[in-house]
Amino acid sequence: MASDVTAIERLEDRPIPVDPAAIEDEFTRIWRETAGGYDESSVRLRVMNLVGVGAGEDALGRFESLMEVLPQRHPCRGILALVRPGLSRVSATISAHSWRSASGGRNVCSEEVLIFGPPADDAAMPSLVLALLVPELSVICWRLGPEGDSAGVLEGILDAADVLLFDSAQDGDTAAAFRWALRLGGDHGTEPRDLAWGRLTTWRELIAQSFDDDDGPNRLREIASIEIEGGGGRPGSEALLLAGWIVSRLGLTPADVETGGRWLRATLYAQSRAVTLSVIVGEPNPPGLHSVRLRSGRSTLLVEHHAASGHMHVREESPTGEMRAVEQIADQEPPTIARMLDEGRDDVYLEALRDALALLG
Amino acid sequence: MTLATLPSGNPLREGLRLPRTPDRCAIVVFGATGDLTARKLVPALYNLARTHLLPPGFSVVGFARRDYSDDQFREMMKAAVAEYSREPVQDDIWDSFARCLHYVSGTFDHVDAYARLGERLEKQDIAHNAAGNRLFYLATPPNAYETVVHRLGEAGLARGGTAAGGWARLIVEKPYGRDLESARRLDQSIGLVFRERHIYRIDHYLGKETVQNILVFRFGNGIFEPVWDRRYVDHVQVSVGETVGMEGRGAYYEEAGALRDMVQNHLLQLLALIGMEPVASFRGDAVRDEKAKVFHAMRPVGDVERDTVRGQYVAGAILGRQVSGYRDEESVAPHSGVETYVAMKLQIENWRWAGVPFYLRTGKRLPKRATEVAITFKRPPLQLFREMGADNPTPNLLVLRIQPDEGISLRFGAKVPGTRSDVRPVNMDFRYGTSFGVEPPEAYERLLLDAMIGDATLYTRWDSVQAAWELLTPVLHAWAEGASPLQTYEAGTWGPDAARELLEQDGREWHRM
Repeated sequence: MASDVTAIERLEDRPIPVDPAAIEDEFTRIWRETAGGYDESSVRLRVMNLVGVGAGEDALGRFESLMEVLPQRHPCRGILALVRPGLSRVSATISAHSWRSASGGRNVCSEEVLIFGPPADDAAMPSLVLALLVPELSVICWRLGPEGDSAGVLEGILDAADVLLFDSAQDGDTAAAFRWALRLGGDHGTEPRDLAWGRLTTWRELIAQSFDDDDGPNRLREIASIEIEGGGGRPGSEALLLAGWIVSRLGLTPADVETGGRWLRATLYAQSRAVTLSVIVGEPNPPGLHSVRLRSGRSTLLVEHHAASGHMHVREESPTGEMRAVEQIADQEPPTIARMLDEGRDDVYLEALRDALALLG
Repeated sequence: MTLATLPSGNPLREGLRLPRTPDRCAIVVFGATGDLTARKLVPALYNLARTHLLPPGFSVVGFARRDYSDDQFREMMKAAVAEYSREPVQDDIWDSFARCLHYVSGTFDHVDAYARLGERLEKQDIAHNAAGNRLFYLATPPNAYETVVHRLGEAGLARGGTAAGGWARLIVEKPYGRDLESARRLDQSIGLVFRERHIYRIDHYLGKETVQNILVFRFGNGIFEPVWDRRYVDHVQVSVGETVGMEGRGAYYEEAGALRDMVQNHLLQLLALIGMEPVASFRGDAVRDEKAKVFHAMRPVGDVERDTVRGQYVAGAILGRQVSGYRDEESVAPHSGVETYVAMKLQIENWRWAGVPFYLRTGKRLPKRATEVAITFKRPPLQLFREMGADNPTPNLLVLRIQPDEGISLRFGAKVPGTRSDVRPVNMDFRYGTSFGVEPPEAYERLLLDAMIGDATLYTRWDSVQAAWELLTPVLHAWAEGASPLQTYEAGTWGPDAARELLEQDGREWHRM
């Protein structure tokens, strides 16, 4: 089932009156024109609405990067509500992407509306976004950065969102970001999905894989220490979520938590058994997760990111252990989001999030 | 994700894409220096390793006649992966994968070679901390199957490693026999060494994403199943067209022909997926049970002369290039009577399909490479618009395209704009390639992973193989006695005229691919 896309064409990119009806008419016109000659067919594919909310030019660039990639897996209508200081009124532009196939015909696989508004006018943008949502399709909201100038816009859209994507690693206060994510379901019925959690997929799969054999449950019960090393100036959200994941999956209870600027230590209990946990900032300290080491009396499992190759290395330090190198699932923002949208509700994340928050006190 | 979800006692597995990793195991490939190993098997294993779908303690042992060292075998396989893998070779990943590759030299009937193989596997169990689990892959010519299996049995290798009480499974490539008698003989012979639940008969078509999608399309949607029966379906066509000729496989093809090479496996498997009843789950043998029921419900081909067509291509032009006829191909007898084209009509005699013909066709050197299932629906009961000047409406047609332009299209009638009630057929077309621009895994990756996990859903069970041969062996016998004489067709055409007449006699025509 190879892709037979031969070209992706950007069809329009021009200002449009800030009027939902005019925007819909313009998309229909583009779609019809895409069909081209009599022999060619054109299909309009939309499986969801993606609504980006942010402020500043960085948010615009990230949204556009995602729209270059996302429709390959999730043909969609993308709407960006961007707060731009210095603007005097709301404006909009539209564009569409069409895929031309080798066997003829084209698909309009993404429709993009960019809405720009001044900070003072943030109440106007949600109403416009809500009017442009394609009915019956799920609404994925993406918070492009910590809440700030765009907080009002996000608040106006959240009730319509089925899923909210955010990156807790970008928040200055990790505990506040975790608490905010946990509140989303209760306050708005919106499911939080943290990109920091998405970047842990390969780590979780490799750790889980080492305990799949018949002896795995026994060896999990023998774990005596968990050492997680990450980068950044303080224990980051990836490291904390991974710790929360192990704690929740193994049914451990954190106690005796101590934190310093660049470390966190805890003792985890399962009935009378104690497991030590340490989360530290390593040197050199590029952000993200560097290594995880699970020690037991019989062996040590080491999973680490190999900076030179960008791959993951797994080593079982036991008399018969051997090193394996595997590819890390791409952890750049667009493919991480595309992959996370393949998946359904993730209760494992919510449990890991609660335990990560418990570690932070 | 595999269709069958296996229970795992590992709490870290919850929420991850695979319910479990395969057990630690060794794959032994017989015929390790052959084309299949280089083009498909090792590239598939490399990609599984790259995406960490292989377990720790995994290893591969190549077994073939030529005298290679482990390092020579690794070099050869690296070149193969570089040429045939869907992803380029990455050095550190290759290096860790290559450490799992080993080689044992020996002929398939040489007892000592199997003793050496056994010693090698025992050593690897220790070196790789493996569990004595073995997956044997017969990538050999079919005439070596029985020899290899018997030698495995004699050497005590068919029970898995003794140290840890591991399992042993066997993957067998097609063709599984060349008629009912030889298939039964082969199965009895293999059955002396391996139990049915340990035998994995591979049909790589079933590993294709779009073939699996037939099940999703049928049972993951609510709107198709209610019209998927004799009340609404007029007839079904299953077509596999190939533009290639023999490509160096003339000697094999002289022994096989299109009926054995394509119809007995690929086309009948597609037919079974279209014809089967819904399953209650994808666990265990549910899908294979339902497919077997389809085969058992198939009416024997009573009138071979009327219901089958066989053809052989002569020189012609394909895609603007002159090509020679079958009899001029390398290793083909100058007066060969082997068919390169088959068309036939089959019937499934059950409540759902009684009276609905299933037409099958496949051929070499056809104008287009395409695999499709076309389901033609009955016309509406009342020709309402004919009274208003519109022509007899074209029936609705649902086409499931398997390759190369994978997708689904539905043809229906729509009113032509204007004051008249003219009706024109229009196609609603869905293409995977332009809807989901991501590369799926190769069929062999999926199938090898399933065999390691122990999920045989996408492999063919003996009762289906037997039923397929029961259906087709009388056709082979009738052809041998002169029924439905061999017709010729020019390369680059859609087969002999008799194929067109096969449908015309029923008032139908082949769907244009």
